[in-house]
Amino acid sequence: MIHGLLVLAFLLAVASKGHDAALKLKPGAQGPLCLQCHVSFKDQLEKRFVHTPVRTKDCTGCHSPHATQHSKLLSEEKNKVCLTCHDKLLPKVPVSIHKPVADGVCVSCHDPHASANKAQLVKPGAALCATCHKELTDGIAKAKVKHAPLEKQGCIACHEPHSSVSASHLLKSEVPALCARCHKTADPTFTRAHMGYPVGTSNCTSCHDPHGSSQPGMLYDTVHQPVATKNCAQCHQLASDPKPFLTKRVGLDLCRGCHAQAVAQMLDKSAVHQPVIDQRSCLNCHSPHASKTAGLLNGSMKTVCATCHADTIARQQHSPSKHPPVAEGKCTECHDAHSTNGTLLLSDKHKPETCAPCHEHMSHSTHPLGVKFKDPRNKNLTLDCLSCHRAHGTEYKKLLPFAKTTELCTSCHLQLGR
Amino acid sequence: MKNLIQKAWLFASAAAALASAARAESLNLAYGAAVYTDAKEGVLRAPEGVACTDNGNVVVADSGNGRLLLFTYKDAAFRQVVEVKIPQLGRPVRVQIDSHGDVLSLDQRARRISRVGAGGEFKGYLEPARMPAARGFQPVAFKLDKADNVFLLDVASSRVVVVNAAGAFQRQLPLPRGSFVDVAVDAQGIIYAVDAVGAVVWSAGKKDIAFTALSKPLKDYASFPSYLAVTERGLLLVVDSHGNGLLVLGPDGSYLGRQLSIGWSAGLLYYPGQICVDTKGDVFVADRNNNRVQAFTPVK
Repeated sequence: MIHGLLVLAFLLAVASKGHDAALKLKPGAQGPLCLQCHVSFKDQLEKRFVHTPVRTKDCTGCHSPHATQHSKLLSEEKNKVCLTCHDKLLPKVPVSIHKPVADGVCVSCHDPHASANKAQLVKPGAALCATCHKELTDGIAKAKVKHAPLEKQGCIACHEPHSSVSASHLLKSEVPALCARCHKTADPTFTRAHMGYPVGTSNCTSCHDPHGSSQPGMLYDTVHQPVATKNCAQCHQLASDPKPFLTKRVGLDLCRGCHAQAVAQMLDKSAVHQPVIDQRSCLNCHSPHASKTAGLLNGSMKTVCATCHADTIARQQHSPSKHPPVAEGKCTECHDAHSTNGTLLLSDKHKPETCAPCHEHMSHSTHPLGVKFKDPRNKNLTLDCLSCHRAHGTEYKKLLPFAKTTELCTSCHLQLGR
Repeated sequence: MKNLIQKAWLFASAAAALASAARAESLNLAYGAAVYTDAKEGVLRAPEGVACTDNGNVVVADSGNGRLLLFTYKDAAFRQVVEVKIPQLGRPVRVQIDSHGDVLSLDQRARRISRVGAGGEFKGYLEPARMPAARGFQPVAFKLDKADNVFLLDVASSRVVVVNAAGAFQRQLPLPRGSFVDVAVDAQGIIYAVDAVGAVVWSAGKKDIAFTALSKPLKDYASFPSYLAVTERGLLLVVDSHGNGLLVLGPDGSYLGRQLSIGWSAGLLYYPGQICVDTKGDVFVADRNNNRVQAFTPVK
């Protein structure tokens, strides 16, 4: 240990000398000289964790004393200056990489000079992660049961802070190997808790919230009834079966067993959303075990719908005017995700000519609207909101499909065109 | 050395000629006519299907009205011949005309194909028989070849099933992973299928046992490619339903261009559905959310 520290001190001294030589500094013209002007900086040196170049007063390790092309007189671009020493933090082939690392903004987590926190973190542990992952940390805070490693060691119990060479989501290893470090899958209590099903190689996070939960067994907030009642055999073969995970039926036929009425209602309409009847059926959008979201969705509604309709979500993102239901990912405000009797899967209660539940269009505009008014551009259409607006957004303001309002108006009022 | 230069020159010339030919083979469309109503001025409602023959017969699946309308199309004008409104049609969304002039129509609700004679009489359902066991049968699209074989896109078992005119099983091809929404077959028997989410057109030859990707992902050109047709020259027309346009692809799946755009006036599209192209190159589009069917003619 002492030997290692001596070597480190030697290397730092050599590096410092290197800078001095390159800059042809006079003896004593290093950090102490800088501090003569930057007097307030002395406070930094009093902090518990001081960055090594600061502690050794090697200001020129990161800064150029005269002029540079980079802000804060840094000797390199901000995303490169740290790598001068910490180049090993970036593996050549990471499986996942933390966004601030990828963006080269080390200072979003670390104070480059000194901090009261280990590794010069700008905030301690989980509080730092909460800066960006607030939604997640707020959820954890509300959970009745927090995952023990998270409480004891913080996020870095399971996640690498910079990058992971072996797993997604910055995990130290992929699930279930990561979980099996603590949870002994051969243990009888583990087997009993899982009804005797050999889940040791399954994806734990398809049912369990790895951060914390208010549900028994740290299951996600929304639990499928057979899982909640530990009745796995309602859908799967018995645990003693050679293929215990095989479902008793496939696709829609399996779900129809319990959800017969809902399925019948879906299929009774003329336009059924194709995922409902395809090979994966309900599983295209729903989790069969547990989910963070209501309705056992595979993710937020926006994420689920964007799996296929990325073009629609992208259109909204690029639109200067946002339609709140789309922007907020409330697709079912207007659409029925399963089936309808009309087109575009518009729910029967929300026909395009009746955007009224949110927009009192008859009072909002003096323009004639409704089934009594023919669209001059097309004798088979009557005027409704979609005659002038595109609900998911356009490249122009107010969800209009034309750059200028006059272009829109004169598409019908031809006599007013120039 | 001289030989080598000559060969390189010949190769470059041939490549340039091919590229030029490919460009020349693209398709430009001009508005021809549109049909908005039946003979009694009853308006079309959300027509999703259209089929055509080389002798000018056009059938429209007037989906919202649950009926078929049979037209002739000549000199850029539609003339209605027959209206078919029978309970067996349900909500017709895809249609085809066979070599005898019978109309096959897919009911979106029952996902069953009915056969109607040219005079409008119901001739029975297409009942696929002796199909290999699978995870169910949910046809969402179909096409006919010249011999009246039926190519069915079955999303429940993720496959294309080929049956003859009587419904007897001939062949099946598994679909790759994707969200397949339409199928087509050309004069050489090559089968095409379009994955709307991946925005890729796949193809399989007559003797192939699996599909291979024909096009690259077309996401840069299309929002949600949903319907397919093949021209006599082997060009692929792909309807971009959400992008309100038509993509023209070469026989090798290369992108050649885009035709038509969003709008409500004549010649423009609003959430288009099925298309059909005849040997003259006339293109018929079920312009669903404009409540009409439009005809376009090829122009130089």
